[in-house]
Amino acid sequence: MRIAIPKGRLQDRALAVFADAGYDVPDDADLKTRRLVFDRRGIEWIFVKDGDVPVYVEHGAADAGIAGLDQILEHECTAYQPVEFPFGRCKMMLIAAPGAPPLTKVATKYPRITRQFLDARGVRAEVVPLSGSVELAAVLKLTSHVVDLVETGETVRVHHLELQDVIAEISPRLIVGKTFYRTEPKLVRELIARVEEAVNVAKL
Amino acid sequence: MAAKPRYPTGVHPLLREETARRRRIEARFVDAFAAANFDEVVLPIIDYVEPYASLVDSAAAKQSYRFVDREGDLVAIRADFTPMLARALAPSIADGDLPLRLYYRGDVIRVEASRLGANRELFQIGAEIVGDDSVDADVAMLRLASGLVPNPSIVYNDVSISSALIAQSDSVRDALAAKRMSPDVPAALRTIVGKLISGEATIDDVAPFAPEAAARLCAIGDALGEDDVFSLHLDDIDGSSGYYTGLRFRVYANGAKVAQGGRYDNLYERFGRRAAAIGFTFTIDDLD
Repeated sequence: MRIAIPKGRLQDRALAVFADAGYDVPDDADLKTRRLVFDRRGIEWIFVKDGDVPVYVEHGAADAGIAGLDQILEHECTAYQPVEFPFGRCKMMLIAAPGAPPLTKVATKYPRITRQFLDARGVRAEVVPLSGSVELAAVLKLTSHVVDLVETGETVRVHHLELQDVIAEISPRLIVGKTFYRTEPKLVRELIARVEEAVNVAKL
Repeated sequence: MAAKPRYPTGVHPLLREETARRRRIEARFVDAFAAANFDEVVLPIIDYVEPYASLVDSAAAKQSYRFVDREGDLVAIRADFTPMLARALAPSIADGDLPLRLYYRGDVIRVEASRLGANRELFQIGAEIVGDDSVDADVAMLRLASGLVPNPSIVYNDVSISSALIAQSDSVRDALAAKRMSPDVPAALRTIVGKLISGEATIDDVAPFAPEAAARLCAIGDALGEDDVFSLHLDDIDGSSGYYTGLRFRVYANGAKVAQGGRYDNLYERFGRRAAAIGFTFTIDDLD
């Protein structure tokens, strides 16, 4: 079994979940070696960029992984999502530039989600794909709006931007590839049961 | 200007060794189909979009590569053999012809969303029994599919079970698609949906919601007997094509999906001739 762990925002909590579930996960010393693949008691743990977890799992290069709903939706990932985690929750929001100008251009790391949101609203606006610090696009008037994840709202406040609309409630999920789910039902059931149990215990 | 060294995304030539390998696999399939009395048919590589408009949803339609021909009609490159075969065959079937056992082979080109809109050319071989709605036909096709690749594992289900549950509440679709209980699932369905998700559900559990499908799955299971190749997965609902009406199955080999199929008893009627049908398609590129 190969499990994909997202580097970055969710990495520590993703590893903690699997550790709580009784899996032998790579520790800090392992991670400092810059290796990306670790074999522990028959499970291969791979570390990939958070947005790539759905891609690895969708194509069967990893059997399961942890991914945020933002990345699942952006990649139109069809993997199963049997467990939703209580940590790392945030909102995908439409945010306006200072002074709330008309919605004409939207900067975002999520062009597909943004396009679908604008189409559903019947809004004719241009999507400007960026790879980071998207709030800056609105601050510098590159775009009228941005679509991004909002956790505390601090970035938005600091830049005098305006929260306008919630596009989606985002939470991390355990995702399991469809082929793995169908061909290794016993392994899948055990994985889901152990992760679910770890989440439930953590909640108490 | 130098010519581009590469090919358009998703297509590539097969050179000598790959072609020999492809033809060997093809020959194995053709021999198996001939031995089971299936006759070959050849379908065109492009067709008008309009005759299929009512039966594919917009998501499935987006999978095909479409363009406007010289007369101004919208045409699509073949992306799915099954509806094409129904359209080709339906007007020409005489009463005494049925049942028919047919097979076909060729390329399809699909634009797969999960591959970020990239085309992919796939070589497929499929077979179909038209005009036989019996359990025997279901079992014959399952067995035929199981004999085409080494060490297969075949997962089967009946799509009318999930359809019956989804008809009661649309929230069931999301729960079964994600494999996670949703608070929107109504109280009356929580037990059965929970059991489906956890894999505990039995045919007896689903029988009250879809009695005919349950009885049919029992009959299929009895006919297959004790056989590790086949396993019933009652929670399986996904499928890109919307025309399946009953039995649905997928074939896995070496940890990858290599074929899928099922029963589509209403498809021929859309093209003017009532005829039950069951078929499957192997994607040869997915074999070793």
